[in-house]
Amino acid sequence: MFEVMFWPIVACVLLPWLLVYLGLHVVQRGIIFIDIAMAQMASLGICLAVLFHLDLESWTTFAIALGFTLVGAGIFSVTGKRTSQIPQEAVIGISYVVAAAAAVLLLSRAAEGDEEIKNMLVGNILLVTPHEVWERFALFVGVGIFHFILRRNFLLVSFDRDGAYQKGLRVRWWDFLFYAVFGLVVTSFVRIAGVLLVFSYLIVPAVCGINLANRIGNRLLIGWVIALIGGVGGLFLSFWWDLPSGAAIVCTFGALLIFVSIYALIRTRSHAAGSA
Amino acid sequence: MKKILLILCTILACAVSANAKLNVVATLPDFGSLAREIGGDKIDIVTLAKPTEDPHFVDARPSFVVSLRSTDVLIDGGAELEIGWLPPLLQNARNPKIEIGKPGRVQASQGIRLMNVPTNVTRAAGDVHALGNPHFMSDPIIAKAVAQHIAQSFSAVDSANAAVYDANYKKFEAAINAKLQEWGAAMLPFKGQNVVAYHDSWVYFAHRFGVNIDIFLEPKPGIPPSPSHLTEVIAQMKARHIKAIIVEPFHDRRIAEKVANATGAKVVEFSQFPGGLPGTDSYVKLIDTLVSRLAAALK
Repeated sequence: MFEVMFWPIVACVLLPWLLVYLGLHVVQRGIIFIDIAMAQMASLGICLAVLFHLDLESWTTFAIALGFTLVGAGIFSVTGKRTSQIPQEAVIGISYVVAAAAAVLLLSRAAEGDEEIKNMLVGNILLVTPHEVWERFALFVGVGIFHFILRRNFLLVSFDRDGAYQKGLRVRWWDFLFYAVFGLVVTSFVRIAGVLLVFSYLIVPAVCGINLANRIGNRLLIGWVIALIGGVGGLFLSFWWDLPSGAAIVCTFGALLIFVSIYALIRTRSHAAGSA
Repeated sequence: MKKILLILCTILACAVSANAKLNVVATLPDFGSLAREIGGDKIDIVTLAKPTEDPHFVDARPSFVVSLRSTDVLIDGGAELEIGWLPPLLQNARNPKIEIGKPGRVQASQGIRLMNVPTNVTRAAGDVHALGNPHFMSDPIIAKAVAQHIAQSFSAVDSANAAVYDANYKKFEAAINAKLQEWGAAMLPFKGQNVVAYHDSWVYFAHRFGVNIDIFLEPKPGIPPSPSHLTEVIAQMKARHIKAIIVEPFHDRRIAEKVANATGAKVVEFSQFPGGLPGTDSYVKLIDTLVSRLAAALK
């Protein structure tokens, strides 16, 4: 079994820590679907590369995909105003559907085989190669260091926007920086794991952490544990019952969240009973 | 205790095979069905794709890699039909016995003249396969050649049972030869008639049985039907009095029905794979069903 599941397990141990951290930001900002919108932006860029018959593995294609992600980052940082009648989630949803529909239009003109394109956009965690894992690990470590160095400002912008404005931070620029780096991480992870898995890794551990703890450090720790249990546990279930691996992990996360929520509920009840 | 160990072994799919049978993996159910005809009870066969699944897109599961890792023989199409999903599986399985060129690897298209080989390879004409149309198994005469290829591979890898494989091949060949007459007679009244298909997967069938299947609901292979293309198809179908539209289980049947309503044609459910239609658990029964369904629709 380890021969088959070794690299998927390595990927689920080495990569999700950054997604869990970014997930805390994303949940705090209330922009849950940003990852799917960003991934869709990047795939729109890849569809454009297909239209021009570029090699899908080439750097040009990567640059175009990155360019579209940056456009997305630009849009989301401009629309995330301090006071606005339009919720950010609306802009994200609109970006997603327009990017998805535009991709359909482009592909109908490109008339290229869709097997490769689908493979390009949506990876299967079961089939990751060592090279893919190490490449992303290097990228994630880089992004992690970047976020660690600038953590004060990033945290302030996400968790205390009013405070950030009062301190005179250029919030819009910090937003742009956050979204751009976020888009890079999400896009690279989608290609080995698929959209469902990226979403789960970002949101479920963060929600579990928020359920159980108040300090960001504790939330992060809980999130990491949940991500590790969900990922590795899901892979084991997928092997034992011969299920598609990505979907098995996502459902394991769903089950974990239910357990955590019930536990949190019981805890608050008993706290309330104790104080009364 | 021993039994439990044995069960454990199979569950965990140890690389060491627990029985003396030849382990065979087939990518698609049509190859799997032929392997069963040739191998009989001398082989253990695992077929990766389900008969109702689109052979272009198959979802990989952990057992696929496990089977590929320990198999003695792999039968694939070899004509890029499985290109979207088989190469990464093989890369992960890393099984030297089934490398291309080894006796344990049957590439069914080898030695077969593929139809519709594109003259330029940019793929700008849609999801065409650079080596030619890979849906060749619907021609029974090609299926005979593939069966022979499979029998040769089995004999090379498992020479102790070579006589059995050869005898089984002869039996299959005789069954197809006997049936060819019957199928030809059933299709003879419809020689030269036009039939519409959802996807270009029936060119070999059409060639063998004398019908023309060259209008497709997809504007280009793999591209979903657009309104203007469907309008054109409907106009052509009316002009040429086309009576049948072939769809497969994984195609959108509603589109075919919409066109059928507009033209008075019948929707005929086809499958490239044994098991894809009720009562088609063998290759011969599948072709039986296809021929009788099409003949009924064209009457």
